[in-house]
Amino acid sequence: MAVYTSTKKVKRPEKRFSLEKSNVQRNIFLLLAIAPPFGGYLLFTLYPNILSVYYSLLNWDGMTEPVFIGFQNFIAMFQDQFVWRALSHNLFLFIIVPASVVIISLVLAYLLSYKNYFESKFLKLLFFFPNILSTVVIAILWQFIYDGNYGLLNEVLAFIGIDAGNFYWLGDERTALWAVVPAWIWGSVGLYVIIFVNAMDAIPKSFYEAAIMDGASDWTLLFKITLPTIMPIVRVSLLFLTLFTIKGFDMMLILTNGGPAGATDVIGLYMFNLAFGEGTHSYGYASAIGMLLFVILITAKAIMDRYMKKRGIDY
Amino acid sequence: MKEKRNFKDIIFRGILYLWGLTIIFPLGWVLFESLKTNPEFFANIWALPEKLQFGNYIKAWKEYNFGKALLNTLYYVGGSMILGLFFTTLNAYALTRIEFKGRQLIWGLIMMSLFLPGINALVPQYVVMRDLGLTNSLSGLVLLSSLGETVFYLMILGGFMKSIPKEVEESAFLDGASHWQVFWRIIIPLSTPGIVTVAIFKFIDFYNAFLSPFIYLSDPDKYTIGVQMYQANKLMEYSADWVTLFAGIIIAMIPSLAVFIFFQKWILKGATLGSVKG
Repeated sequence: MAVYTSTKKVKRPEKRFSLEKSNVQRNIFLLLAIAPPFGGYLLFTLYPNILSVYYSLLNWDGMTEPVFIGFQNFIAMFQDQFVWRALSHNLFLFIIVPASVVIISLVLAYLLSYKNYFESKFLKLLFFFPNILSTVVIAILWQFIYDGNYGLLNEVLAFIGIDAGNFYWLGDERTALWAVVPAWIWGSVGLYVIIFVNAMDAIPKSFYEAAIMDGASDWTLLFKITLPTIMPIVRVSLLFLTLFTIKGFDMMLILTNGGPAGATDVIGLYMFNLAFGEGTHSYGYASAIGMLLFVILITAKAIMDRYMKKRGIDY
Repeated sequence: MKEKRNFKDIIFRGILYLWGLTIIFPLGWVLFESLKTNPEFFANIWALPEKLQFGNYIKAWKEYNFGKALLNTLYYVGGSMILGLFFTTLNAYALTRIEFKGRQLIWGLIMMSLFLPGINALVPQYVVMRDLGLTNSLSGLVLLSSLGETVFYLMILGGFMKSIPKEVEESAFLDGASHWQVFWRIIIPLSTPGIVTVAIFKFIDFYNAFLSPFIYLSDPDKYTIGVQMYQANKLMEYSADWVTLFAGIIIAMIPSLAVFIFFQKWILKGATLGSVKG
């Protein structure tokens, strides 16, 4: 320490000069360190977001001269039955997927953390595996499962005595959207199992000791201690999954591309196909739908944030 | 009492195995069918193949142009990872450990990305990329993927960097080290665990990326493995060549599986980091 202060004293006149020099050097360093990623963020993320407001007021196919049409895209959007149909499918997924993923993950996490089986570690890894597979792989895999003639599902059903014939689960309007759900759940559960197991394992044993002394059953421990303690993490998970059911569409794009007859079309996919699909492109209209999506997501996030905070006080 | 416990264990384990089965069974089935001939598969999906058809894998490799797709993927994933990792780490250092004017503003703008859903700006982003001449180019895709701010990565790296004592850095400066030297010799070695975690996440993200390569690459010669598999799957409707597609899917899974096996501990730890942050 003494050495440290003494060198400081000796070097003082020199230091002022070197400080100035190092200030220039520091600013160059900062510029190089911040400009590329931050510039990329401004250019590829923030700027397009601002631009999308302008695009939503255009009639533009992306090639020819754009025509300014005011709010006509928005008027058309509210009268477009395909938009409403797609949104109703989002609503369906919104109701079913996040809740299913969280419930299945909670059950599996509880079973895994209840007792340390020798195969627990292997099971955790196995459960997580679908999460690192790409959507393309997951979608093709489930297409094999649902195929009418050679699909795994129909064969398994036949094996246990249910004859589904050549029913193609993704090809029928009545079942197609339902069929997307298991594929989606299958690909998401693993991550939440790991998150919940870690959260449950992190609860201090002392929380349980008094209750166990009082003779509380496993059920009481689960519902009075375990679940309330990890509730904040469960809520964040729900929020995350919910936002994803509103904006996610790559699973549908690969599995069915919205078919049959639009039975699995969701709002993101509808927008995507308007801009990048086959046939004529309408960048203006797609951007208007993008704006709608933006508003829905912000609203959903705000509502959930508020609801969650309120609930947070209850516990 | 003891018997009750055992009974409970059986039920618990049963449920766990059941979920495990839903994962192993379809994957095992694909692997199994990938080693049959098409007629064998059509005749009976349960029957054992007469002879293991490893030729399916060679056929898939050739037919789906895996060699080229793998090189493209390697270029895209490798390039995005190296550039992205370098810039993200450097950026995290500058933003978390150096005080400067405007830092709050930059953080505020970066935090805004949490509210942007991303997909609403797909169209304008495409137009920006097109105007810059970066569409239908793997290098363009690398730039798009590596330049940008991801709050999650900044948080992970920032977390590690904040725990490095200020004195270490200050004494290096007193010895006349520049920011570059401090970055390379002190910051990078001391935040290696964070860098590895981010690298694994980036690998999985980029290898699995579908939407951007699908939107931006129109030339089949530039397809990544994901886009290639998507196109192969579309063609299947006409060719009905099931076993080759089965083999292709298995090939496409190998890089994910390899990374998963080698980095399992890191991946599971990283998953927890995600939960802390949300």
